[in-house]
Amino acid sequence: MDAARGKGRGAHAALPWAWLPYVSVTVVVVLLTVLLHAVGLGYDRVNIVLLYLFPVLFSAVYWGIGPSFYTAAISVLAFDFFFVPPFFSFSVDDLRYLFSFFVYLAVAALTATLAARLKLQLRYARQREAHTASLYTLSRQMTAISDLQTLLSNVCRQVSATLDAAQVVIYLPRGSGNGSGSGDGSGTGEQELQLAATSSVSGDEAVFGSGESEMVIAKWVFRHGEMAGRGSGTLREYSGLYVPLRTEERIYGVLAVQTANGNEAAVFTQENKRLLEAFGGLTATAIARVKLGEEAKLAHLTAESERLRTALLDSVSHELRTPLATIIGSATGLIEGEPIFSSADRLELLATIRDGALRMNRLVTNLLGMVKLESGMLRLRMSFCDVEDMLGVVLAQVKNYQQHRRIRIQLPSHPSYFAGDEVLLEQVLVNVLSNAIKYSPDGSEIVIAVQEDTASQQVIITVADEGLGIPKGEEERIFEKFYRASSASHVTGTGLGLAICKGIVEAHGGTITAEQPAAASGNGNGNGNGKGAVIRIALPIGNREAIDRMTAEEERRSEDV
Amino acid sequence: MTATGGNGARILVIDDEPQIVKLLRVTLQAHHFEVHEAANGGTGIYQASIVHPDLIVLDLGLPDMSGMEVLQRVREWSRVPIIVLTAKEREDDKIAALDSGADDYVTKPFGMGELLARIRVALRHVASSTNEPILQFGGLKLDLAQRLVELDGNRVKLTPTEYDLLKVLASNAGKVITQRQLLQQVWGGHHHESDSHYLRIYIGHLRKKLEEDPTRPKFIETEPGIGYRFLLQD
Repeated sequence: MDAARGKGRGAHAALPWAWLPYVSVTVVVVLLTVLLHAVGLGYDRVNIVLLYLFPVLFSAVYWGIGPSFYTAAISVLAFDFFFVPPFFSFSVDDLRYLFSFFVYLAVAALTATLAARLKLQLRYARQREAHTASLYTLSRQMTAISDLQTLLSNVCRQVSATLDAAQVVIYLPRGSGNGSGSGDGSGTGEQELQLAATSSVSGDEAVFGSGESEMVIAKWVFRHGEMAGRGSGTLREYSGLYVPLRTEERIYGVLAVQTANGNEAAVFTQENKRLLEAFGGLTATAIARVKLGEEAKLAHLTAESERLRTALLDSVSHELRTPLATIIGSATGLIEGEPIFSSADRLELLATIRDGALRMNRLVTNLLGMVKLESGMLRLRMSFCDVEDMLGVVLAQVKNYQQHRRIRIQLPSHPSYFAGDEVLLEQVLVNVLSNAIKYSPDGSEIVIAVQEDTASQQVIITVADEGLGIPKGEEERIFEKFYRASSASHVTGTGLGLAICKGIVEAHGGTITAEQPAAASGNGNGNGNGKGAVIRIALPIGNREAIDRMTAEEERRSEDV
Repeated sequence: MTATGGNGARILVIDDEPQIVKLLRVTLQAHHFEVHEAANGGTGIYQASIVHPDLIVLDLGLPDMSGMEVLQRVREWSRVPIIVLTAKEREDDKIAALDSGADDYVTKPFGMGELLARIRVALRHVASSTNEPILQFGGLKLDLAQRLVELDGNRVKLTPTEYDLLKVLASNAGKVITQRQLLQQVWGGHHHESDSHYLRIYIGHLRKKLEEDPTRPKFIETEPGIGYRFLLQD
């Protein structure tokens, strides 16, 4: 017995507590022997042998094959010594008992092996389940994350938690982390790698992964697409394991794992290496997905800007060439054919030149306005606006081309003040009113109505005309850049004016919408016949209290003279 | 209006754009002005001291120095009227120029009639700097001696502030007055930039009392983002 114990201890000297199962089993066998002896089952040997199988099975299930073989051995010895005649001797009277011992040992060995294998399989199954669970967690997290940096730090954390590794870092080719999509590096080998994510908490001494040799290994792995480092086939003298992040067609980066001191053998097992490979593949797929998403977005943007560029070119070339043609034509005509024109003709040609130039001026103003809006250079100069004052400026600006259209203004009984950039808002009103004039017949009526909506704290300005109107379903589209209503194709224009209006109004936190005129508004006179368009601008009043206070204060002051 | 000549008044044009200079030279000479030219700020300042112009047309965008600098340097020793030419959508530049002593501005592209009107107003204000006690604009009469305002023969009741405001605007008739200049001249030194809302409210009151239709003002015109201009009555 002592010899067997000693041997057991010797075999697993490295592992602490390895002798514990042997001691326990010895104690159990001793107790069983004492019990059987005391109860006096001494003559029912078959049952005794069967009872002696229990400790064997027990130790096989709980401690594995070594302890169970040991148990079988000491059980046989105890059985022989105490229960086989001659008692208290290892010698055997009946040689058939030797056969019994042999059968017993065989049965014990078989059951022990089976039980131990079952246990091992259970352990593997549990481990696999844990690995699968962590892979699943990771993959689920990955599909939800579209930001590369978050994704990588998540991978680092997950790997670190699963493997109980001290530090996990990910290297990516330089320039690919910011989504520029330049990471076209499989096989070129010249690409610089950089640390993209790490699991370690900041403040660690000497962060793993930033050193020269670590970078060299990472580059090697990136270039060759093979695992390297401790526990792998190559560069095994270095600490840390380096796993390529690869999909079928490309290598996206390198995942490096560093263990806490000493337990590399326990961490870099075959099973864990497979797991790391799976992590690598998953991460690579996720990176590829994020990259593809970015590329798709870029492609969409490019297509959109391509479309806009085409529209801009079409629109601008037409809108610039037409007035240029009239200017150049009229001017050259005047210069070359001086004597043949009557003074009335000359005046007409000169007016054509002026109108063409004014039209170009409007176009340039709109284009610049659009550029300003789009580039974010638009800065609001907020001040205290008086709608009445603004309308005065706007009416003065359209006076020259309203011809015989009547512009009627409906103001609320008390002055409407609100906070806004008066110059830009006047530009909005001029654009809207110019449209109303442009798309309505001469002699028709345009109504500008101002209301204060106390519930929503907004000033609402509507401009209603009796002109072409807006086709149903295009009420929103007419505010898009370069979009012209289908009914307006015979009227020249760029499709910029309302887009600028929308930009300016929205910069004020307001809304601008197009509406169909109310059916009942057809008042019979003019060419209205129930048509026309209504543009509705709603602007937030702003600091209502301050404005009320100022207004009240001023009214009081002006009374007391 | 177009027939009124410049009577030989001397105008210095400081602009680096040959096309604009040519346009101004031809037009102004046709209106009997004597035109001198300078293609950059340095020459402009030098010319201003040599030629003694009656008026300067100054482009704010010059190659060698900013138009603002030319303006300030000339203002150090001369009260000559200066009209600045600016690009559109540069309200800050316009205000800065006007507050630094420019008399008026014209936005490029401009109509010739507009520029000529500004030039005439500026020249007239130099000529008639003597305080006339009564200002008459169409149906509107201001008796500065008695602080009386009459519209079409009927007395208009104004509060002291409204009266002061009208007085400043009317005595600079035809010229643009910035919000800051108005605040300074009406409310005195103790005003703040954000007080421009007072101005707006008082202008509103004035228009209610003077204008037939305040949305189509005949007397007080708003220069968006800059200030106000009292319109000369034709």
